Formats: sequence, structure tokens, C-alpha cells
Amino acid sequence: MKKKRILLPAVLILIAAAVFVGYKIYNKPVKSLTSSTADLKITATDLIKKFETNEAVANKEFLGKKTDFIITVSGAVKEIIKDERGAYTVVLGGNSTRSSVRCSIDSLHNQQAASLKTGSNVSIKGAITGFMMNDLGIGSDVVLNRCVIEVKN
Amino acid sequence: MKKILLFIAFIVIANITLSGQDKYFTKTGRVSLAGKSTLSKINAENKAVAVVLDTKTGILQFSLLTKGFEFKKALMQEHFNEKYIESDKFPKSEFKGELINNALVKYATDGVYPVTAKGKLSIHGETKDVETTGTITVNNDKLTLNATFYILIPDYKINAQMNDKVAITVDCSLDRLQ
Repeated sequence: MKKKRILLPAVLILIAAAVFVGYKIYNKPVKSLTSSTADLKITATDLIKKFETNEAVANKEFLGKKTDFIITVSGAVKEIIKDERGAYTVVLGGNSTRSSVRCSIDSLHNQQAASLKTGSNVSIKGAITGFMMNDLGIGSDVVLNRCVIEVKN
Repeated sequence: MKKILLFIAFIVIANITLSGQDKYFTKTGRVSLAGKSTLSKINAENKAVAVVLDTKTGILQFSLLTKGFEFKKALMQEHFNEKYIESDKFPKSEFKGELINNALVKYATDGVYPVTAKGKLSIHGETKDVETTGTITVNNDKLTLNATFYILIPDYKINAQMNDKVAITVDCSLDRLQ
């Protein structure tokens, strides 16, 4: 009898704890990449080359392994774009080619993006989402999302 | 001979430049999806959608990377990419079609024009015919495309534990292709 009296509340507490933890995991927000470590560091030119040489192999390397494959890309700032709703995209790459790396900036880092200068070198960390081939006639791009500006020069 | 070649080259280049002026594009278009599962609402947005519209022919193309959809919940984003859309196998989603009433849009005059788009939508390696109404807002040589339509999850062989119907909302501002 005594045992039962302890058992029931204990089980209830355990169930409550499990539900709470489950709920927390289920609702866990997508975290900022500010403090994440990059899986790979690469220059914009080399990254573009990887996709242009063999898109399927590059897709496997960057998209197949884990949900967020995080890379730090370094290169010259080609363009800084602010869209109608205030979201920033920093475009990296040389002027001689239409191919580039497009980095959608995490809104936490908008100010830093706004202060970048075209032509300067920068390192940007983000989650790679893939490669847009030039099938629309507007240049091909490697695309990174949720980007954080790491180093300004 | 050389002069003729130069002349031909000039004509070709002039044509490319001219035809370029009828095209509008963006690489920062937005497409969002909204659905429901038994437990909660599912919302996600992609902010890096590439769109090209040829105003002369009405040919319209969308292209997006499925990994670029941002969810509020990390677990949903993971399931979407790994279980449902299988982004590693099918990294891209595309729409290729046309505005069937393109002739009614006055691209040189500011205003809001109702349009109907018809074409093929590819998701998860499956291609289906879709048709939707929407609007094109012409403002100072900028075009904003807006539309909402529904797709059925089983059409695209997606194995998701959610209601079959998902709303796709398009909101893209296009600039003239120089």
C-alpha cells in the first residue's frame, strides 16, 4: 500500500517531465548560426568551381550529410542587396564571372551587412542550400542561408 | 567578308540586348507554404527564389532550393528536408509556364493587373500541371507578382503526416534584366 502511494506520484511526475521535454524538443526554434562552428572553410571561387564541375557530387557532399551543412566562405563583396522588406543578401564573387555565392543574411546581422563595402574581402558563415544553375539565363549561384558576417576587412 | 561578319555580330548582339529588355527577374523572391498537421500549423518561407518573366511572351519561370525554406521550429525544418521533400535527392523545385492573359497587362502603365498563370510545377521529383490566378502590380518599371494556390501533398508523392492541402503563396518583386 505504501509503495503504491509513492509509485503513483512518481509515475505522474515522470510523465509530466517527459511531456515537458517532448514539448520543448518539438518547439525548439531554429537557432542562429552565430556560435556554430563551420563544417568547411572555402573561398567563393573554389565553392563555385565545385558545383560547376559536378553538381551531383557537390550536392551529395553539401546537402546529403546533415540538415545544416555550415560553411564559411571568403571572397570579395560583389553586391549588397536590400529587398523591399529589409532583408539583406550579400553577393560574393569576382567581377569577371556571372557566377557567385549569394548569402541571405540572418536579420540579427543586418547592420553588419549594411556596413560592408563592395570590393572588400569578407568571410561569411551560413547554411548551404544548394546551387542554382544558369538555366534561367540570369547567372548561376551557390546559395547560403541564415548567414552571419564573420570577418570584415 | 570581315565587314559582313562584324555586321552579323552587331545584329546578333543588338538583338540580345533588345530582347533582354523585355525580361524581368529577381533572385530574392519569396515563396511561402502553409499547412496543418494534427498537432500544429506549419509555416515556412523561402527568400531566395529566382524568377524570370518575359513580358513579351508571358513565359514565366520560378526556381527555388528546397533547403532554403525557413521554419520557426528546428524539428519541422529537419523533417521537411530529410523525410518529406528529401532535399538531398531533390534540391530544387521549379515552375515553368506562362501567363495565359499576358496581352492584357500593360507593362508600361502603373497599375494592378489580374493574371492567370498555367504551367508545370515540379516538387520532390514529381511534375504536375497547375493553374492559378494572381496579380501583377506594375510600379515604376518594377513588377510585383502575387498569387496563392493550393497543392495536394499526395500528387507529389510526399509522405508527410499532415493534411493533404498546402497553400503556396508567391510574393516576388522583379526588376528589368539589363
